Amino acid sequence: MSWLRSFASGLRALFRKEQVDRELDEELSGFLEMASEEKVKGGMDHQGALREVRLERGSLGVTKEVVGTSGWESFVLSLWQDLRFAGRTLRKNPGFATVVILTMALGVGANTGIFTVVNAVVLKPLPYPDSDRLLTLWERSRSDGLDSTVAPSNFYDWRAQNRSFAKMAAIDPYPDFILNGTGEAQRLSGADVTGDFFSLLGTRMGLGRDFLAEEDRPGQNHVVILSYGTWQRYFSGRPDILRQAVTLNGAAYSVVGVLPRDFSFVSKAADYQARNQFDLFRPMALPVPPPEWMRGTHPLCVLARMRPGVTLQQAQADLAGIAANLERLYPNQDKEKGIAAVPLGQHVVADVRGALLTLLAAVGLLLLITSANIANLVLTRATARGQEIALRAALGASLARISRQLMTESLVLTAAGGLLGLLLVYASVPALVRHLPPDLPRKAEIAVDGRVLIFTGVVALAAGFLFGLTPIFHARGSLRLGGRGVAGGRSRLRSSLVVGQVAMALVLLAGAGLMAKSLWRLLEVPPGFRTEHVLTARLSLPPQYTNGFKFGTGMHRAISAFQRRLLDRVRAIPGVQSAAFAAYLPLSGVDNSWSFEIEGRPPKPPGESDEVNYRPVGPGYFETMSIPVSRGRGFTAADNEDGPLVIAINESMARTFWGAADPIGQRVSFSEDKWRTIVGIVGDVHHQGLDLKAAPEMYLPYAQAPNVEARPTIVLRTSVDPLNIAIPLQKVVAEIDRTVPIDRVATMQDLVTNSAEQPRFRTAVILTFSLLALFVASIGLYGVMSQVVSQRTQEFGIRMALGATRGGVLLSVIGQAAKLIGIGIALGLTGAALLSQTIARLLYGVAPLDGVTFAGVTALLVIVGLAAVYVPARRAAKCDPMWSLRYE
Amino acid sequence: MADKQGDLVQGTLDMLILKTVALEPIHGYGIAVRIEQVSNRVFKVNAGSLFVALQRLNRAGFIRSEWKASENNRRAKYYALTEYGRKRLASETRDWGRQVSAIAKILEAT
Repeated sequence: MSWLRSFASGLRALFRKEQVDRELDEELSGFLEMASEEKVKGGMDHQGALREVRLERGSLGVTKEVVGTSGWESFVLSLWQDLRFAGRTLRKNPGFATVVILTMALGVGANTGIFTVVNAVVLKPLPYPDSDRLLTLWERSRSDGLDSTVAPSNFYDWRAQNRSFAKMAAIDPYPDFILNGTGEAQRLSGADVTGDFFSLLGTRMGLGRDFLAEEDRPGQNHVVILSYGTWQRYFSGRPDILRQAVTLNGAAYSVVGVLPRDFSFVSKAADYQARNQFDLFRPMALPVPPPEWMRGTHPLCVLARMRPGVTLQQAQADLAGIAANLERLYPNQDKEKGIAAVPLGQHVVADVRGALLTLLAAVGLLLLITSANIANLVLTRATARGQEIALRAALGASLARISRQLMTESLVLTAAGGLLGLLLVYASVPALVRHLPPDLPRKAEIAVDGRVLIFTGVVALAAGFLFGLTPIFHARGSLRLGGRGVAGGRSRLRSSLVVGQVAMALVLLAGAGLMAKSLWRLLEVPPGFRTEHVLTARLSLPPQYTNGFKFGTGMHRAISAFQRRLLDRVRAIPGVQSAAFAAYLPLSGVDNSWSFEIEGRPPKPPGESDEVNYRPVGPGYFETMSIPVSRGRGFTAADNEDGPLVIAINESMARTFWGAADPIGQRVSFSEDKWRTIVGIVGDVHHQGLDLKAAPEMYLPYAQAPNVEARPTIVLRTSVDPLNIAIPLQKVVAEIDRTVPIDRVATMQDLVTNSAEQPRFRTAVILTFSLLALFVASIGLYGVMSQVVSQRTQEFGIRMALGATRGGVLLSVIGQAAKLIGIGIALGLTGAALLSQTIARLLYGVAPLDGVTFAGVTALLVIVGLAAVYVPARRAAKCDPMWSLRYE
Repeated sequence: MADKQGDLVQGTLDMLILKTVALEPIHGYGIAVRIEQVSNRVFKVNAGSLFVALQRLNRAGFIRSEWKASENNRRAKYYALTEYGRKRLASETRDWGRQVSAIAKILEAT
């Protein structure tokens, strides 16, 4: 344990410095005296003896110094000295220190902020044990390569036949529950899960227990597990909630467990009809084995946990075998179907990963630009300190020692700036999370954690090290040349820093320009319906409206009656012009599609079918939403349960399935024995997103839908601000039926805005970064040109004395700057052209090499850059020749 | 100025110090004098090297130190060998012997 003793006595030397010094002094003077006494005995006088000893044994002072610096603690001591010296120097120059620290805080803070998001969303392991073994499984169609959710019967077979998975669970995100008996009727978003869903994830309940195997059987599943939030909100966090009966959809359920507070189901909202967190879970209770019709409906998302030691490739091979087997057994439903297995972590962030990494790269460029600015500032100061450094070198400081001192100063600044940046991020995480797009996965996990701290430390140290090197190079140069500056080399270094800044700023500006143009193009897309003055709200119909329904029997009378009564009352609200119902609202993230056949056409081979989006809507919907009816007619009140079955199709569907022929009067059918006549053709609507092409759609009268849509959305067209109608609407619904919850009250404009939230967010971020970069780079330009002007003042004086005009001087300075800007722009354009390909996937309606954008941002950069150098150039032109000749 | 012959072979000063303090507790000056006497003034010990070596050996736990009155009633720091130091000295002596005889063989062979 000798290092321990060394450490302990080093610590003693550090903290009991005086005593240790005193002891060493005493020991050494004892040594000196004993040695000199020896000499005195030999006949020398005292002074002579002392001198002799010093000659023979070395001077005491040196000995003391040598002994004192031989332990490890002396490094700490000199570091402490350096730190104190750095602190003193920086305090003497508070303006410099402030500018550097703030610039650094900006650069490091912006980087840390983006990294905090990237870390939580992309890098951190999922919040489940051994999360790298979790996969999501999908049915993959071999004909079009698309993944889809899973049929219960297929899930059942996969689970029974696989050899690679420790567990396989399914989640059905569709069930909704209306909670009665706790005040107003509440709509809760629920999910049906197989019994081992939570044990697959590795989640332990916060309260109570997980589902039992016997609760996952038909008829036994009247139990629920609540989310922590639901428990708090609706049951005030009462611990006696367990095994109490709660009334959901009019039936009694008992609560067996409550999820822990930090549980979050990591998912992609798009997989779950725009829901990513669930209020409660119920056992799915799949019949064993599931009836055969369950191979034709596809509601399930499937999760699987690989056995330890099984690789993804092995699991995929296993699944491929199962798929081949099922295809042979069920040629009708499972023809051309494979099984896709994707690691859960990858699947969830697949859509946002590219955008987030782009932002991280952009903010990295911003940091480089700010670091270059700091390097320039530090260099300016190093010039001013040239004499001090030369003096210290003359007094015997080695280059290494001076470098260490300079580096310490840079690192002190960096540490302060980095810390400030980190504090800013720490304080702004809640605001940051609020401003992130609502459908960004794993938002709840965003926090400053150990990885973020390490990232910030590394980034700040790297930046500090980089700009700390510049004054050291400068010091080396000036020491070699004996204390006089090396103007040429220094200004070359500074010029290349500025060229780099201009180039990087241009890359960022080009990226921001492309994204801004893309967002603008996106928002310009006509959605196909009216967005102004439209209010929407979702209603949830409790079981008394849907009981007794069987597929295809059209038991809608109760719903129709409710809708008619409600519409009559709503239309009477002052300011409401028209109102209608729809099952699936455009841009709401909720969607459905059905397969159908056309009368008179040969049946499709097994595994293939025509499928289009499916939209039950009430009478007056097209008018209320201003969706144009281009041929035929829309729906009226006569298209009800008793009327002939009719549908309307959109133009895409007409084009896709009938080409030039007229579809009006043609008949189609779902898998039922009823033919429905096409009576109208309506305009295309961007249902799934403004950036996605309008898809073929068919509209049915709500009252004639073959299924029951228990969650109708009401759409109101208003003459006043639609939000003013929200309260009267809620009142009217409550007056007609208190048990009908109403939620998702939003204007159509909000839905359109929200649908572009991801591109809007990334555009806003990158635009902010690029404007900051432009600002910082122009400060850099200004600084360098000011320096150039003060160096060339004498030259300008002479020139003017010899007859040069002020304009000539002005042009000469601007010309010098223009050269720097020009080189920077050339480099920047090259870089931007190379890099813009990588963001091609994030762009809509604009080419990665969009000439207008590139020209525009270049012009912007030129204008701002020239404006920044105009100030020093004017100063040069204004200077008095007499004064400037005397200037030194 | 120590001439070429007076320079100690790198690393041997530690061994000589250990050997010196092995006999009895002794202060710094005493160590220097004894090394010089025993070596017939072949080696001259510089104060800087001596005290750096003492600090190093002390920290490594080979020797321990104690303030005591010296022969002429002055306070002096006395160094003594620890048990650990004794083992170290034994192993170093053994290694040294092996090296010396090896070197001698090489020199004789040519």
